[in-house]
Amino acid sequence: MSRLRILLARLAEWLRPRRPEELDDELQTHLDHLTDDYVRRGLSRDDARAAARRQFGNVDQTKEAVRDRRGFARVDDLLRDVRYASRLLMKSRAFTLTAVLTLALGIGVNTAIFSFVNAVLLRPLPYPDADRLVSLFEARVGAAPASESTHGSSIAHDAEANRITVAPANLGDYARLTTQFSGLAGVSLVGRNLTGAGTPERLLGESVTWNYFSVLGVAPALGRLFDPAEDREGAPPVAIISDGLWRSRFGADDRILGGTLLLDNTPYHIVGVMPAAFTPAMQFNSTDVITFWTPAAFPADLLAQHGDHEINVVGRLAPGATGASAQAALTRVSEDLARQFPQSNSTLRAFISPLGDDVVSKVRTSLLILIGTVSAILLIACVNVANLLLVRAVARRREMAVRVALGAARSRVMTELVTESLVLAGVACAVGVALAELTRRLLVAAAPASIPRLTDVTLDWRVLAFAALVSLVTGLGFGLLPAWQAGRARPVDALRSSERVVAGTWVMKWRNGLMVLEIALSTILLTGAGLMLKSLVLLNGVELGFESDRVLTANINLPVTRYPTADDRLRFFDALAARLASQPGVDDVAFANRFPLRGGWETGIGVDGLNLPGDGSIDVASQAVSPGYFRTLGIPLVRGRLLTPADVKTTEPVAVVSDEFSRKVLAGGDPIGRRFRRAPTAPWITIVGVVHDVRRDGRDSAITPQIFLAAAQTNLYPVRIADLAVRTSADPRALGATIRSAVLEIDPNQPITAVRTLAEILSARAAERRFETLLFALFAALAIVLAVVGIFGVVSYAVSQRTPEIGVRMALGADGGRILRWLLGRTAVVVAAGAIAGVAASTALSRFVTALLFQVQPRDGAVYAMAALLLSTVALATAALAARAATRVNPTSALRTD
Amino acid sequence: MPPDKTDVLQGTLALMILKTLQTLGPQHGYGIARRIEQMSGDQLALNQGTLYPALVRLEQAGWIRARWGASDNNRRAKFYSLTPRGARQLAAEARRWETVAGIVERFLAPSEPRS
Repeated sequence: MSRLRILLARLAEWLRPRRPEELDDELQTHLDHLTDDYVRRGLSRDDARAAARRQFGNVDQTKEAVRDRRGFARVDDLLRDVRYASRLLMKSRAFTLTAVLTLALGIGVNTAIFSFVNAVLLRPLPYPDADRLVSLFEARVGAAPASESTHGSSIAHDAEANRITVAPANLGDYARLTTQFSGLAGVSLVGRNLTGAGTPERLLGESVTWNYFSVLGVAPALGRLFDPAEDREGAPPVAIISDGLWRSRFGADDRILGGTLLLDNTPYHIVGVMPAAFTPAMQFNSTDVITFWTPAAFPADLLAQHGDHEINVVGRLAPGATGASAQAALTRVSEDLARQFPQSNSTLRAFISPLGDDVVSKVRTSLLILIGTVSAILLIACVNVANLLLVRAVARRREMAVRVALGAARSRVMTELVTESLVLAGVACAVGVALAELTRRLLVAAAPASIPRLTDVTLDWRVLAFAALVSLVTGLGFGLLPAWQAGRARPVDALRSSERVVAGTWVMKWRNGLMVLEIALSTILLTGAGLMLKSLVLLNGVELGFESDRVLTANINLPVTRYPTADDRLRFFDALAARLASQPGVDDVAFANRFPLRGGWETGIGVDGLNLPGDGSIDVASQAVSPGYFRTLGIPLVRGRLLTPADVKTTEPVAVVSDEFSRKVLAGGDPIGRRFRRAPTAPWITIVGVVHDVRRDGRDSAITPQIFLAAAQTNLYPVRIADLAVRTSADPRALGATIRSAVLEIDPNQPITAVRTLAEILSARAAERRFETLLFALFAALAIVLAVVGIFGVVSYAVSQRTPEIGVRMALGADGGRILRWLLGRTAVVVAAGAIAGVAASTALSRFVTALLFQVQPRDGAVYAMAALLLSTVALATAALAARAATRVNPTSALRTD
Repeated sequence: MPPDKTDVLQGTLALMILKTLQTLGPQHGYGIARRIEQMSGDQLALNQGTLYPALVRLEQAGWIRARWGASDNNRRAKFYSLTPRGARQLAAEARRWETVAGIVERFLAPSEPRS
């Protein structure tokens, strides 16, 4: 009870401090009274005064004791220390500026990278109770994992690797037979042509089960969500649109509800508009913006097909359910399904993982490595500042010793020094946050759009708290070293005349240790950057097997409502190709399901005369292409003939295969004349030619066996003919308008999308790798700059410490070169130690970067050697520059300084 | 928590100060110090400076109150007086002290010879 009263009283005193004279007066009165007393007892005035003092005790100690009890003296001390430290720092501007800038760089890059980590990895997805949302997927168990490096891993990991989309037929059972979810919703991406008012447009949307929005926990801004009745086959088509589409296409008109959206020539009744802040579940995986939602309304035949995996599933855990309980229930239902439908489900199980995990998994590694990198930079910055502070501490050691000799408590002196470091760190934090904001803007602008949640990267309170924490920790970290050194100050040192004597050998040992650390850290970063750079160079050197620079591609998705048959679509594309072929600048025109880099599928085929295991078919990448395909892409013929306009429906079905197909599938021999078919009852297709291999999915993809079918002979295909390419000797981008107007001349309601040169697609694919490499290179450069500054400081200081010794040596006849060699010899040992430590650490850490590398061993000897050599050279050159001052020492003056 | 040495000492000093103020009425620091020394029969060598931190604490606890005034030989001095809360505290402390003293006394009393 009285404790609280005392605390409140002290708080009041702290807010309205008493005048210190009051206490002085009170004690003086006491002393006067005592003196009077002694005078009355017969002492002389002077003796009485002395006796009174003896009786009273130490006046200053009393004052100190009272002052400690009044208010919060410690806080006042702290504020005083801060003011004192600020004054001291203002006095030595060069030191302060160097230290603040160095630290601010470290804090700045760390904060900027953390803002990415925060947005991408830490911040929950933008839904209410996002931690209760899961992503449900199916996977084949017992099957070999898709990637090679997962041997002996857990089932969950295998499931992740063999992850496939969910069969709508199974989804119903998962939802009906478990009680662990308050909702499971199916969602898949769909593309539709928007026509009607304005230019035709290709829109990206989500086809969703009716409960999709309520599972995510979002409400529409206008109108309503879907009804269960609307999510049935044959129900009148309805749609919900995004805020963006509502504004761009409908002028944000409130009367939009009840209006229609013409998608692929089907009118959809608009029932709702989502708020601008809503991020659809599939948006995290897509760089194109999702703008509409339609009910999935699974057809009955699909709901009967347990082997048809088509949709993604998001779920919300029911109250009380846990991830483990939900997983157990799902496993039970999947096992039941496996017994019921052994043909499709015997090895199939359902799994859940937190929603968003799959989105960030690909960038997690990169971000974690980046965090490691910027931590190393911060460490180097700290080492530099610790060095600077150490120099100051040594210079002030006599001052400290004098103060300790005069009775200052060591703890007070040390507190003062730590305060100074914290003030430095505080200022550096402010500058660092400003730098971080700048860096963040640059990075967000430069980052490839494929990095998820990029728009969420901001300096929010979490990031600022991080910056403050990092500053505090670093401030304490590098501040304790000089404080500890001051704590060792002995009063006797105050009596020594030379500061140089005071700077003991342990200081040099410390500094050499710090230098080794700096060089080692820089070597690690440089090695990492080197590995990434080598990957990029190797990747760019990979032959694609097709021309990419001068080929412009476009997607023209013909809606089934207007082009119901394969023949209709073929007629459209033939007409378009003919029209374009006569345009100036167009060298070749071709169309296909998809051109390389723009998607691909596999078809199961049976080969004549080949006894294939299992059901007798093998899955092979295949495309239906027009005769101009190979010429347009510059794919050379190896043997036989290419497809021609004469290969039509009425003639013998023919195909061209890739070299790899004839090697791997046909196992050598002459492929010309061999036959395959796409189903046991389908007609045989004869191979008439072999073309050179291509890397269909880009430079980092493997070469796979491929077949090319004649588009005019193919009407059965998972994706309809929709891709067009023109090859030109002029600027390919200029042809975009030509293609567009040619399409509109044939069909004014037909949009075209994805107009890009293949080179542009390649470049976008490599953007993440390029961006990462750029970041690592920049950070490595930053580390080296900081290390160079640090080494320069250490060596110059060492030289200045050794000036008398150098003077003696020169007086004894050593010339400049000899002095330089002597000084550098010492530095070389430190540099070598740092480089060796760096290479050793890189070797140990290299396995973490494996995922970021392309055809480069994480322990690539050449890269390691280059990094170590480059860094040693730079370090020694810096040291030589700093040591040059020594060769200009005048022996006489050098000896006089002492 | 059993009171350790300094607690007892500090508690004792506070008790003495409060009792002095109750007996003599408002007093300045010197007066309190003298009274304590006199009452102890000059057996207590009080380092008079230690009195002041204790006074600060008692004032903060609201048991005593300080006011500037003139001392008997016309010096400006700070006078401390007991507050009602302080009086209650004194009574409680005194009771506690008597109990403790009684216990200690019984402990130190010459023990009965065992038969």
